[in-house]
Amino acid sequence: MIGAVKSFVTSSQLANIAQNTTQSVAIETTLKSIGRPGFILIDKDIDSDTKQYAAAKEFLYQATCLGVYMALIVPVFKKGGFKLAKNVLFKNTEGFEHFKDVKAYMHYRKLADNPSVNNRLKTLEKERLTDKTKIKDKYDEILQAELAKEKPEKFAYVKGAVELSNIIGSVLGLAILAPQVSHAFIHPALRFLGLEKKKAKEVEHISKVDTKA
Amino acid sequence: MAITDIIKKTCKSLGENNKPTYVVMAIAAVKGICRPAFTMMDKTENPETKKYTALREGLTEVIAIPAYWACGEIAGKSAKKIFNSDAALAGRAEKNLMFMGVCTAALFVIPALCSVAIKPIMDKIGLKSPKDNEKNNKPSDPSPVIKPAQLTPPVTALNTFPRMSTFTSRPQTGLRVGGL
Repeated sequence: MIGAVKSFVTSSQLANIAQNTTQSVAIETTLKSIGRPGFILIDKDIDSDTKQYAAAKEFLYQATCLGVYMALIVPVFKKGGFKLAKNVLFKNTEGFEHFKDVKAYMHYRKLADNPSVNNRLKTLEKERLTDKTKIKDKYDEILQAELAKEKPEKFAYVKGAVELSNIIGSVLGLAILAPQVSHAFIHPALRFLGLEKKKAKEVEHISKVDTKA
Repeated sequence: MAITDIIKKTCKSLGENNKPTYVVMAIAAVKGICRPAFTMMDKTENPETKKYTALREGLTEVIAIPAYWACGEIAGKSAKKIFNSDAALAGRAEKNLMFMGVCTAALFVIPALCSVAIKPIMDKIGLKSPKDNEKNNKPSDPSPVIKPAQLTPPVTALNTFPRMSTFTSRPQTGLRVGGL
């Protein structure tokens, strides 16, 4: 048990996720979309109709945030940030010319993070399933030489440019865009689920009772 | 220093170590400014409700920023202490536990802190929730029952004979002896 916890806590895959803005934000939002409605449903002080309504609303809000984030922010800012950095900010800086796009850099970075040189070289010799070419053919000679070193160059500013762009995208998406989208989407969705109508009916019923009294 | 240099420096430091706390704190900071602003711009809502909601939203994010930072840093520091024998393991554990700390903050710590702290702060500021205000403004009995008017017959004197003293022209004061 302790061994499993230790290997989970020191896992290199989890460390990669923790260092990746988009993945960490997506995981956090997913946890919120499950956890927060769950806590609302557990609460014993609220009546069941209000619980259902509040839990559904919270779930829909978080789900909208996740949807907006994954659909719009990730592709636009991830790719756009890399292109902007390559062509404008770091135009004359060495490093960007080795990578065609973000995907190519991320693959290189994953290999460079592997502490074992042997494992890296074995991976480079593997064939790709899509076009039967070797993985090392993706990289130029400089990158191949770097991967053969004990401590390869990781081109930190390339990753930094992508992460900065992702942070800006996450902020714009989750703090500004997603609340607006969810505002337009949540109430029709709640009405479709029959939760808001029920609420309205209840209020109507209460008011009728009051007037009769 | 030019802006491009600052951006380059930021990129380099983010590339070397992108802490999970950075993005959540940035999101919370912008939310803390934008959400109250959006609420205040809503023209359909009552001004008192708007003020209350905007302040509540702002306070939530003000609580969230230090909570994210503290949870992330505490988790990261504890990882360093636990795995102090191996530097590589300690480095990975620090990143992972920091991420878990941020998730814990988002799921448990911030909602708990908000539910404990916001109401007393709002009371101190003097802003009450619209529901409370409604309760205070309402009369003690929300649905006063109008009692049907009781039709009580007018009290009539059973003795219908007029008092003879009514017709007397004598003064009604002073000592009188005999007669009317």
